[in-house]
Amino acid sequence: MQITIIIPAYNEARWIKKVVEEVRAAGFQTVVVDDCSKDETAALAESAGAAVLRHVINRGQGAALRTGTNWALENGAEIVVHFDADGQFRVSDIERLVKPLAAHEAEVVFGSRFLDNTTKLPWSKKNLIMPLARLANKILFDAELTDPQSGFRAFTADVGREIKWRQDRMAHASEILGEITRRRLRVVEVPITVVYHEFGQGFSGGFKILRDIFIKKLS
Amino acid sequence: MFQVIIAIVVIVFFLAKLFWQKNKKAISIGEFYFWLIFWLASLVLVVFLKQLDAFVSSLGFSVPAIQVAAYLAIAVLFYLIFRVRLKLEKTQEDLTKLNEALTKLVKK
Repeated sequence: MQITIIIPAYNEARWIKKVVEEVRAAGFQTVVVDDCSKDETAALAESAGAAVLRHVINRGQGAALRTGTNWALENGAEIVVHFDADGQFRVSDIERLVKPLAAHEAEVVFGSRFLDNTTKLPWSKKNLIMPLARLANKILFDAELTDPQSGFRAFTADVGREIKWRQDRMAHASEILGEITRRRLRVVEVPITVVYHEFGQGFSGGFKILRDIFIKKLS
Repeated sequence: MFQVIIAIVVIVFFLAKLFWQKNKKAISIGEFYFWLIFWLASLVLVVFLKQLDAFVSSLGFSVPAIQVAAYLAIAVLFYLIFRVRLKLEKTQEDLTKLNEALTKLVKK
């Protein structure tokens, strides 16, 4: 079974080599989509053995994931996994996501930081930002998952061909969730551990996501 | 009266320019009609200001017609900004599609 790991990367020279090496050592096909980085991300990913797709201009994480997913599907992927380039996800969790798909128990699997207590989330993120994001997903997409902004997801090739996300930047996570909910696909959540190197998206990021969703719905 | 004459001169100048642009095919027919209606409406507003004041007053407004026109213009401007934002969104989407196609082409 061909499992392809898509890693969107923008200025991730610090982590990308280690991430790619670990993913490849676990036996997965690895595709890095370099979103027009200004540093050595693409060269480092290539030297670590990843297939590298280079965006000519910076288009955002959602766009990079779309490029990588479409490329993987055109090149025989049976399961697609979205992974981060910043070394915050654990490679050992990939197996957890793939297992229900390989066993045909689900069509989509989301990694969740909230199913066990292994992820040390900043207080404001856990108690303010995430509950609000959950509420927004419920109102906007009728989506109910424990992790409203999980970027660690896996799906079958059929699902990859079926779902379409138009958001180029960070709102893609909510949009993908909405697409999957709308199509009533079989979803499973599995616990993952995220090791934070940085805070990530705060309140302003959340507002940008809401703004992008609003504009996209109107356009 | 002097102000009205100045306003008419300005409007006639822009109308002339509009026809000149149309003849040079520098603007589309849709744009031409949009601006033609806009400048003709402005001309009517300037020439019949007193009558329009009375009309606006009969509608229940407590401000002169020129002020109502200014409020309407602001509302229209906001709407046009919104339309431009949506158009921009579409352009961004097209740009991303182009970027993806180019990326795959380079990879092959």
